[in-house]
Amino acid sequence: MAGITITGLSTVYPNGVRAVDMLDLDIADGELFALLGPSGCGKTTLLRTIAGLEGAAEGTVGIGARDVTRLPPGDRRVAMVFQDYALFPHMTVAENIAYPLRVRGVAKPVQRETAVRTAGGLSLGGLLERRPGQLSGGQQQRAALARAVAASAEVLLLDEPLSNLDARLRLEARTFLKKLQRELELTTVFVTHDQAEALALADRIAVMDTGRIRQLGTPREVFQRPADTFVANFIGSTPMNLVPRGSEIIGVRPEYLAPAAEGLFTGSVSIVENLGVTSLVTLDCGEDQVGYVVPEDQEPAVGTAVTVAAPAARVLRYDKETGLLVR
Amino acid sequence: MVRRIGCYVLIAVVLAFFAVPMLWLASAPFDAKPGLGLRWPDWTLANVSATFDHPYALTSLVNSLVLCAIATVVTTVLAALAAYALSRVRIPGRDLLLYLLLLLSSVVTGTAAMVPIFVLMLQLGLINSQFGTALVIAGGMLPAAIFILKDFMDAVPRSYEESARVFGAAPRQVLGHVVLPVARPGVATIFVWAFVNAWGNFLLPFLLLRDVGQQPAAVLLRTLYDEGGSADLSVIPVFSLLYSIPVVALYLFVSKRYGFRFHGGVKS
Amino acid sequence: MDSSGLGVRRAVAFVAPALVLVGVFLVFPALWTLYIGITDYQLTGPAAAHPRVVGLDNVVNAVRDPLFTNSVWLTALFVLGSAVVGQNALGFALAWLLRTVRPGLRRTVEGLVLLAWILPGTVVAYLWFAVLSRDTGTLGVLLGSPQTAWLVQYPMTSLVVFNVWRGTAFSMLLYTSALAAVPPSQLETARLMGASAWQTVRDVVFPHIRGHVLTNTLLISLWTANDFTPFLLTAGGPNHRSEVLPVLIYRQALESGQLGYASAMSLLLLVGNLAIALVYLRLLRRRA
Repeated sequence: MAGITITGLSTVYPNGVRAVDMLDLDIADGELFALLGPSGCGKTTLLRTIAGLEGAAEGTVGIGARDVTRLPPGDRRVAMVFQDYALFPHMTVAENIAYPLRVRGVAKPVQRETAVRTAGGLSLGGLLERRPGQLSGGQQQRAALARAVAASAEVLLLDEPLSNLDARLRLEARTFLKKLQRELELTTVFVTHDQAEALALADRIAVMDTGRIRQLGTPREVFQRPADTFVANFIGSTPMNLVPRGSEIIGVRPEYLAPAAEGLFTGSVSIVENLGVTSLVTLDCGEDQVGYVVPEDQEPAVGTAVTVAAPAARVLRYDKETGLLVR
Repeated sequence: MVRRIGCYVLIAVVLAFFAVPMLWLASAPFDAKPGLGLRWPDWTLANVSATFDHPYALTSLVNSLVLCAIATVVTTVLAALAAYALSRVRIPGRDLLLYLLLLLSSVVTGTAAMVPIFVLMLQLGLINSQFGTALVIAGGMLPAAIFILKDFMDAVPRSYEESARVFGAAPRQVLGHVVLPVARPGVATIFVWAFVNAWGNFLLPFLLLRDVGQQPAAVLLRTLYDEGGSADLSVIPVFSLLYSIPVVALYLFVSKRYGFRFHGGVKS
Repeated sequence: MDSSGLGVRRAVAFVAPALVLVGVFLVFPALWTLYIGITDYQLTGPAAAHPRVVGLDNVVNAVRDPLFTNSVWLTALFVLGSAVVGQNALGFALAWLLRTVRPGLRRTVEGLVLLAWILPGTVVAYLWFAVLSRDTGTLGVLLGSPQTAWLVQYPMTSLVVFNVWRGTAFSMLLYTSALAAVPPSQLETARLMGASAWQTVRDVVFPHIRGHVLTNTLLISLWTANDFTPFLLTAGGPNHRSEVLPVLIYRQALESGQLGYASAMSLLLLVGNLAIALVYLRLLRRRA
């Protein structure tokens, strides 16, 4: 169990592109931390740099009290689960789980005992003698997690842990993962491009873009007060309304807008999209399109004129030039 | 309808064309009066014992085994190491190297290089050396072996190695625990291919192993024909059969297990 | 990306042993041929201990030597007859015909054809002695002319037929997989339009496999030109009438002891191989 300290970290690709650019980050001991961003933002590179699979061009990586920047992956006491789980197809599940111990030369009976115990903790008990190819997607994921747990590392790294699972399975796995991390109290960093996943799971999130952190905060902070228009756009199941007004951009989430006598935006209903329990209504306000959310069975007819307002605390103002939040 | 008959007639002719020459191998070894031609044999096993009694027959089979074993092991091990490194690490000049290897393997054939190889081995004093000849054979097979094995190595997912490394495995362990087991079909293929090639290789042993006691089966079979001007047909057919069996057995084994699939024009 | 963690230094160490062997036994001989070819090196005699450089004399002599030109001509015949035409045509024919045949029959035919390819060369030579020899040879018996010594009276023809038998397997396998890649929908369209087999091959199949035909032809030509097996059957006889280049080189080098001269001829063969291989690789690249 240890925190992660990153200072001034830069990772450069052979073609000169800075995948991670002068990054500072402190991850607390026992925290479940998310690296969130679109493809190519550097989140996976950052994860791999923490693991030691990529070399840092500048800066340092610390795990606990140790500076691990120059250490090979095997010496960092980290465990990693890859996107494709990387379960060795020629070994049984038990042998896979025990692999970190085998590498260290632990005695066979202890290897076996640990594998059985860890597998039991992740509901893999009856599958120990199977090969990975005989497991379902969810079982494979748990097996990969079991192997990481068996490694008794100080830090757990997960690269897109849920993206290979079916949509339905994903939600179950999400809850499972959160529970597991709580029990283990293991510092965990995971990479995802799914903002809903990050919001649901993480204690804190770092939203990244082109190698830099755009915002660092709890899910609530990132959701309610995005630090700039990029984050505002990225977070939220429905895109945030970003409407230019003068020298600023007004940002309001569709979920916070409701019809009122007087308000921020007025327009006529152009599109209504059914989202299940709610519906997304798009207002044509001349130059701008504004969306707001209504409960089911309250959708207005197309063409109706509607004015919408939001609580003052939920209306954000961004500088038009920099995109940053105006205090 | 006519077309179908014509098709089958053609196939029958082809079948006969390929099968008839091989029938000799089934009849002559067990014929009391063997000849250079097909005839219904006077069934006997006397030829078999005559072959075993021949001073050089069994020796040469052992020689073949030794020669092929050395050549095959050297080729497989060196090619596996080189293919792994070339697959994973961006060594400067790698692509050029691969191209040159491919070029070399086609251009420098045993025939084209027979003179300098003979002179080289002569001057190194390695004429009549099993080990030396095995190395020459291995050298000739290496470029193609590296090429084929590299493709197999490329197909091993990189996440496997990275996973093992994160769990603390040294490169030696990564190779042994993870990469080789996953690449095993490829390594096995090269092993068999190299063995079959070396087993049938005539020119190089013919050139370099001049002493009858050193000759592998490929060469002895020829020597038996030349000695005394006429062929000793009580021994030659049996010996041919014995000599052919390992190759045929290996072929059957590989095609049953892995099947002969084509892969850009190269057997894989 | 180096997922193995080897690093450049260790990687070079992994590659080095293979490269050393290749360097010593492939690269060096190829280059040394150049050198030996310009000397009068011989197996025995004064020129064995102290060879002198004779420049391009060997090459010039070779080009003027009727034995050499005869050999080149015979080799060309051999390659054209058995590879370019024989193996190609038979390989394709088999690949085409066997598509529509029962799996059991198909496997049998393919198995026999393959067996002809993998049996060791010396054994195969005997199999064909048994077919082609005078008095008892199978061919003579079948045709009712047992007095014909086929290898003596028709040496090149015998060699060509032999090599077609020997090497068709490769072309057959190659064309089988090439044909499998032709979209079945196109073949069916042709059939629905009433195209004959020949028309289908010409108009639908050939455009798809044109590249394969060319590369296959180049490869088997290269192999055939360098094939030493004719030595086992005729040893160049009778009287040089079947002396293809590999046999000539061998006899000049080890029977006549003219190492320098043989080297010059080997050099010419190497250059020929190089030309074919370069074209072959360029075509492969373009296709990939």
